[in-house]
Amino acid sequence: MKDVSFTHSSALPNVLDSINLSVTKGSRSAIMGANGAGKTTFFYTLMGVYKPQKGEVLFDGEPIEYSKKGLSKVRSKIGMVLQNPDEQLFSTIVEEDIAFGPMNLGIPRDEIDIRIDRALKDVRMTGYRSVPLHQLSGGQRKRIAIAGALAVQPEVMIMDEPTAGLDPQASLEVMELAEKLHLRGVTVLVSTHDVDLAYSWCDDVHVLRHGKCIYSGTSEGFYSDRENVYLSGLLQPSTYTMNREIALICGTDESPYPRKVCEYLSKIGKGGKTPGTVYLLPYEEGTGLTDRLSKVPSDARVGVYGSDARNQASDERCRVDFYFDGLDSCFTDAVLGKDSVLVYDSVYSPLIEEQVAALKGFGSDISTEVVM
Amino acid sequence: MSEPVLELENIVFSYGKGIDPALNGVSLSVGRGVKTVILGANGAGKSTLFGIMNALYRPDKGTVKYNGVPYVYRKKAVTRIRTDVSILFQNPDDMLFKPYVGQDVAYGPENLGLPSAEVEIRVRDSLRAVGMLEYRDKPTMRLSYGQRKRVALAGVLAMQPKVLILDEPTAGLDPQMASEVMEIAEQLHRNGTTVIMSSHDTDLVYSWADEVHVLMNGRCVYSGVPEGFYRDKNSVYLAGLLQPKVFLMNEGLATLTGCSVEPYPRTRSQLVGKTIGSGRGCGRLYVLPVPGMASDETVVKALSVAGISDMPKGIYGRSARKARNIASVGIDYMYDGPENCFLKCMEGKDSLLLCDPDMVDIVVSMVSVMASDGFGTIECSVLEPAEKRERKTPKK
Repeated sequence: MKDVSFTHSSALPNVLDSINLSVTKGSRSAIMGANGAGKTTFFYTLMGVYKPQKGEVLFDGEPIEYSKKGLSKVRSKIGMVLQNPDEQLFSTIVEEDIAFGPMNLGIPRDEIDIRIDRALKDVRMTGYRSVPLHQLSGGQRKRIAIAGALAVQPEVMIMDEPTAGLDPQASLEVMELAEKLHLRGVTVLVSTHDVDLAYSWCDDVHVLRHGKCIYSGTSEGFYSDRENVYLSGLLQPSTYTMNREIALICGTDESPYPRKVCEYLSKIGKGGKTPGTVYLLPYEEGTGLTDRLSKVPSDARVGVYGSDARNQASDERCRVDFYFDGLDSCFTDAVLGKDSVLVYDSVYSPLIEEQVAALKGFGSDISTEVVM
Repeated sequence: MSEPVLELENIVFSYGKGIDPALNGVSLSVGRGVKTVILGANGAGKSTLFGIMNALYRPDKGTVKYNGVPYVYRKKAVTRIRTDVSILFQNPDDMLFKPYVGQDVAYGPENLGLPSAEVEIRVRDSLRAVGMLEYRDKPTMRLSYGQRKRVALAGVLAMQPKVLILDEPTAGLDPQMASEVMEIAEQLHRNGTTVIMSSHDTDLVYSWADEVHVLMNGRCVYSGVPEGFYRDKNSVYLAGLLQPKVFLMNEGLATLTGCSVEPYPRTRSQLVGKTIGSGRGCGRLYVLPVPGMASDETVVKALSVAGISDMPKGIYGRSARKARNIASVGIDYMYDGPENCFLKCMEGKDSLLLCDPDMVDIVVSMVSVMASDGFGTIECSVLEPAEKRERKTPKK
């Protein structure tokens, strides 16, 4: 976005005020800011729903064209999940709603069917394909709204407060899905008020305040400036604060910055425990889990990460100790010197390598063993 | 265990014939003055339970008792119950229906038949409490979501309920507003209101709750201290919930260092204290009571009398926060004042907390809990309130 200003009416102040902001292809970005800072308007402007009075929005280096053709091109590449699913869903039956986006793009019916199946699997709503939307709960409707955006197979996915109103497990599942999209090469933008959640997930933060973008960069670069955090209606994430305070008190380095429970414990444990092994069970369609689980030590606790692995583990009635938050939980066990088993969708392999490398930096050299 | 203020016995409730009951035999009891949290996944029955407590719904089976007396579902009796047991719904738009902010807040007290002078006082006080007094004459439609949520809260506060139910009070609010709402809840608790809330924010709930009641598929599966529930990972998963980060980190810490998991730290500062271990010198915490009407000069004067100049300063309480005059004193921590000041003291520095007079006892008791639980020994001095200037030595 180059110098973008937008107002709903010339009599009102600018909602977006000379915003300059660029989102790196393939990155995980969090859009942060107080209520009313302009986050949702920012998203609508990115999508071409609002046309800025000043400045321009570039997609892949090309300015958005506000013609019917130009806009439908943008919308075939950018998917958006609105905060309130009821503003997004307007068909009567689940599958009709999910089909709406791809149909508008002129995708053949067979392909749409495949996409609906895939999207429903991703949000773990497979059995609900022909269910009327009004029979679903708020949390379920949110999942369907996400499925609708997934079915477009966008290059950029915008999620406006995706976890608002969801219970903790459902929130984690949404963030797992965001990771999955990221690993499929999708650029993911998430706005949230949950500073801890954003901190544990994103590569970059963009902070909006009174319609201006006042910070773009790493989370730590922003949170270290307490004054700016305060003026932006935000608070420092608790993991960030605890790490900083411990470093100050003990005279140790603030960096590396732990963002997850396993990293925090690894850092304060200072390599005092010999770490355990994490047995890795990547799941791909058509493979089983029960046989492989019999090959790992029976006292190692089992965690699950990813929607397909979770479905499969429950279908096979596998023993599972960490049904949610499996990745952090399994690596926490390893940091604490216990072996663990992580069952995950194979697409997450790079994420697991990332976690192993990160924990090495915190002082825990965790060995992994893939069980096929 | 304090005496029960609300008792639910074997409550069954369904939204219609042939529909599965939303509540299926719930029994639980809320103690007077106990900070109570209702936990549960989406669809577990939390909001329905609140509807039952508020006499919005009449249970198909079972009894609800307020102060030991069963609810009677006649119009007058229901009004009486709702006066004492009020609810803040999750969505403010379910609560606001008058065109102007002031009218909306006045609606409840007027319906109680209170004299207009009393209504006026309540409207002003409750709008001030939520920081919306200057919006009194604004149309509610023109407010943002966060502002509407605060006006809705003011409307409930104006009823001066004995029991206040907050359904997801921080949902949709930015972190600072959420922190203010929690501060208001704390202050109401302090002043004798029994506060019951639901929230999906596991960590927030854990730092606040005395007691949790966990709902699952319309049944209450746990009632008691949070740790008793969070210790059992399987039950937590089954209930659609997660363990708080601070709880997990403390468990890990115990495994790493061999220390006991108890006492359980609930807050960041407590966990930091437990992580670094005792035996380090802490700085002193100065607490300055600031009444709402205190002027800039009196605050500055009180600080100079106490010999306090340059140290990190935090704020706690709604009137201290609204006393804009203290801006010139230079506040470092507008939010989470006690937490931030405690952390500064643990660094070995002195810090100052400007605090509502009625919140001083809470802060003093937080400090003593930290010491007795071994999270850190912070010396605490309560200064003379900002308005009084007779005495010159700080009271210990």
